[in-house]
Amino acid sequence: MENNPLQLSVSEFVALTNQTLEYAYPTVSVVGEVTEFRISQGKWVSFKLKDSEAVIGCFLTTYQLRMPVEDGMKLLVVANPRLNNKGFFSLNVRSMKPVGEGSIKKGFELLKAKLEAEGLFAPERKRRLPRVPQHVAVIASTESAGYVDFCKIINERWGGMSVEVAHTQVQGAPAPDQMIRAIRYFNSLEVLPEVLVIVRGGGSAEDLMAFNDEPLARAIAESRIPTLVGVGHEVDNTLADMVADVRAATPTNAAEILVPDRNEIIRAAHQQAASLGHQLVQSIDEYSARTKEQLEAAFRRIREKLDENFERLATLRLATAQLNPENVLKRGYALLRGDVKLGATVEIETLHEIATAEVKNVRSK
Amino acid sequence: MSEVSKTVQEKLSELSELVAWFQSAAFKLEDAFDKFKQAEALAEEIEKDLTKLKNDIKVVKKKFDAEN
Repeated sequence: MENNPLQLSVSEFVALTNQTLEYAYPTVSVVGEVTEFRISQGKWVSFKLKDSEAVIGCFLTTYQLRMPVEDGMKLLVVANPRLNNKGFFSLNVRSMKPVGEGSIKKGFELLKAKLEAEGLFAPERKRRLPRVPQHVAVIASTESAGYVDFCKIINERWGGMSVEVAHTQVQGAPAPDQMIRAIRYFNSLEVLPEVLVIVRGGGSAEDLMAFNDEPLARAIAESRIPTLVGVGHEVDNTLADMVADVRAATPTNAAEILVPDRNEIIRAAHQQAASLGHQLVQSIDEYSARTKEQLEAAFRRIREKLDENFERLATLRLATAQLNPENVLKRGYALLRGDVKLGATVEIETLHEIATAEVKNVRSK
Repeated sequence: MSEVSKTVQEKLSELSELVAWFQSAAFKLEDAFDKFKQAEALAEEIEKDLTKLKNDIKVVKKKFDAEN
């Protein structure tokens, strides 16, 4: 071979190298620190990954860039190694994610600041969820404990809902795109669900990284269906939570927010009916008391009228008694009956006697 | 709407209306007993309806692992 080496053109050599690379390393995962990060013409992204001894160029499009990147961040890139026609060896990036707590946090903070500046977390954007939804869409991994908890709680608390579930991955590189497709699917339905719920149980910061993906956060923010996101535990804050109309602390909490507790509603309904019973009794008592008062007032008035009339009667009786001729006779007067003319016979009545007399003399007074 | 086809939500609204009537100027003692009986019956129906309601949970057949 050494005596008769393969003779190739430059183009052929580059092509052969790429074929060999593609065969040997179809994709590679490389971890390094970002340096010289640049975006050209709003379309092309280039940066270098380095460690203490080596450096390599990386390329991708802005479309593939799912989070803000800064120099100094540590990234894991999944890429195809390529030798280009100008002789530069580089990595064509397929996907990438921050590695290590510091870089994950940095990426999160950068994207959070960007979305916040666009107003995506603004309280005035938040829509209210219906109190009792009839038609609900859920995005979750149907194999996850978080999904099982969510279903258990909604079934315990409420019934009669139509729940459509999109099974997607909820962690790992494919998860954000799968969830975005599910969001778009539900938003394209002829009859829109009333609420779109995204749930995932707890996990490490890296497990929950799918929920800090920029396109996913934007898809949630753009959803025509009001969104309820319950990811991780109480302490976990993801960008998906922040852009959602309503944030739940956990999948269980999402179920509690989504539907009322039927036992509470039953209790409240019976309490309401019972309170009407109390009001009814109270109203009857009030009505009775009022009627009693009115009757008493009427009796008082009648008594007053009677007293007035008795008083008047007594006065009249007194007056009548004074007019009685017998009373005049008692005072010593006499009653004369008959014509007072000379020679006539008259009758004289005193209190105790009646006498007959003849008129002997008549003179004018 | 017939009595049979009333939803739980409608029954809850009806119960709220009865409660509101008791506190309104339209309240008349002559009608109150019938309204109270209606409220009691509604509460019973709500309990019965809510206890038997089940959710219909369906996993959609569409796959989301790739554009299609």
